[in-house]
Amino acid sequence: MLRTRNFVHQYDLLRCIQCGRCTAGCPLSLRSPLNIRRIIYQFLVRDQLDIKQIPEIWDCTTCTTCTLRCPKGLDPALILIGMRRVLTEEGRIKPTVRDALESTFKFGNPWGRGKAKRADWAQGLNVKNLSEGANAEILYFVGCTPSYDDRVQAVARAMVKVFEKARVDFGILGNEEMCCGSEMRRLGEEGLFEFLMEENLETFKRYDVKRMVTTSPHCYNTFKNEYEGLDFEVQHYTQFVADLIQRGQLTFSGEVNRVVTYQDPCFLGKQNGVYDEPRAILQSIPGLQFVDFDRSRERSLCCEGGGGRMWVEASTGGERLAEIRVKDALELGAEVIATACPFCMLTLEDAVKTTGAEDSIQVLDIVELVAQAIGDQ
Amino acid sequence: MDIVVCVKHVPDTTEAEIGIRDDEKGIKKEGLVFDINEADNYAIEEALLLKEEFGGSVTVLTVGPPEADETLRMCLAKGADRAVRLTDERFEGSDGYATARILAEAIKDMDYDLVLTGCMADDDEAAQVGVTLAEMLGIPHAALVISTEVEDGKMKVHRELEGGLHEVLEIELPALFTIQTGINEPRYASIFGIRKAMKKQIEVLDLEDLGLAEDAVGEMGSKTSLVKLFIPEVTTQATILEGSPEEVSSELVTILKNEGVV
Repeated sequence: MLRTRNFVHQYDLLRCIQCGRCTAGCPLSLRSPLNIRRIIYQFLVRDQLDIKQIPEIWDCTTCTTCTLRCPKGLDPALILIGMRRVLTEEGRIKPTVRDALESTFKFGNPWGRGKAKRADWAQGLNVKNLSEGANAEILYFVGCTPSYDDRVQAVARAMVKVFEKARVDFGILGNEEMCCGSEMRRLGEEGLFEFLMEENLETFKRYDVKRMVTTSPHCYNTFKNEYEGLDFEVQHYTQFVADLIQRGQLTFSGEVNRVVTYQDPCFLGKQNGVYDEPRAILQSIPGLQFVDFDRSRERSLCCEGGGGRMWVEASTGGERLAEIRVKDALELGAEVIATACPFCMLTLEDAVKTTGAEDSIQVLDIVELVAQAIGDQ
Repeated sequence: MDIVVCVKHVPDTTEAEIGIRDDEKGIKKEGLVFDINEADNYAIEEALLLKEEFGGSVTVLTVGPPEADETLRMCLAKGADRAVRLTDERFEGSDGYATARILAEAIKDMDYDLVLTGCMADDDEAAQVGVTLAEMLGIPHAALVISTEVEDGKMKVHRELEGGLHEVLEIELPALFTIQTGINEPRYASIFGIRKAMKKQIEVLDLEDLGLAEDAVGEMGSKTSLVKLFIPEVTTQATILEGSPEEVSSELVTILKNEGVV
């Protein structure tokens, strides 16, 4: 049993007016009993709460729609993470979550893959490796999923192609790159997050990192907003590439003659206000016809890949949000759903398969479309 | 119920490239990540579940180098009450028999109702220590246990046998069980929990503390001696099917049918 008093103070819950904007906007309410307004209410009226009786707290993707909508400036998603922390500290968590956390502690990635294989995706490419003594102006922080996942490795390789075309002086950390900790923190493992933050800050210092570009909005968000003492510029690649195009440093020689829509990653859009750069990149690609989802930007529908949900199946059945997204895209007449996040990529690709839409629509990362349009060098 | 759990700190080799030492008596340990032996992780969980239901204590015990403290601390973080490490240079080279001898000396004077070990260690896969230890302690044992029930002064255990059979045994306590993986769902030890466990003391005992003779441990005390460890040569008997997923899968079905597998 959890004593509610500390939570009420820690998260300033007395300011909650129970208006319900949080729950009304929660994308998970489409398929989960998760009701953050009711949870806050229980914190306010009860002395103790048995968190184990509220398994749907693991359904939250930490997309932060609730936070954006709260008229009192509260952060409801943080309350759920705080509740997860209690359970994680007790060690009573789903085996898939446990395995992801243990793997991250042992191997520096949640995918159970060996440290020594982290840079295998770059084999055959001429990528500078800072951990092998190279120097570069920009650190390309690849991230765990682009490093190890077969599908998303192609995104990292497309990134290299784009950087090379624009003559960007970049390097990677190779096998010394480690999980950023974003998802671990959201799974309630604050100690692991702190451990990873300390390790990573030390690595960045050791290689004198001055500027960083990330593949994943999750790494970007946590480095930019959560790392204490990180004193250089961090950009998501969509910001960096949009700038390259605008300054004429990256030009297109090919065309992508396809109708493309765009899935806003929550950690890029809702949490960091980066809505325009990804769209600017897509609209600058010759031949590409861009159509926006009805629910886009602040109102974008989460793909369910964030908040550690890559390792947690939802507590209830029902249509996955990514499946709704694929159907919406088909209705729009899109041939490609573009995204800019490894988790969106994986959840949407799964949804394309489960909805049987493989012949009609494809999921591509924005940087893959850019790589297609710059042609062969 | 007072329970002693024997655990081993082993290298995690699932994703690692294994190299053999020059003397061919072991693997190169540089760069390897070490962790609690998988089956032992289920054994410690089973002990903690029994303690949570029936009260008592859990003592965790290991024969190993100082680095094995990592595994002991994780067990303490999960809820073990006491940790003991048996460390001595002269223990090196012990086989399953000699290792069981070291553990038996440490356990025999403890108050215990139950001793649990994993069914097998991931590194040498000998599955010897548990049952040998039971013999040395003079207590009954059950190997490959997949569920436990407590009865008055006795326990009922299920064992997994060949061919998918289950055997149910009733055993008088004190007894020793070697625990099969899957018996429970091991809990997670958080980083804060492990850091807190750094404050708990780990008792360290050596050959003299245990009162063992030098020739009872290490290579001298062993019944087997390791001749050579090597990586088998890659043979060319594997067939790699090529083509589209449809072609490959239908070819695979044909092969399986021809071989009488399905």
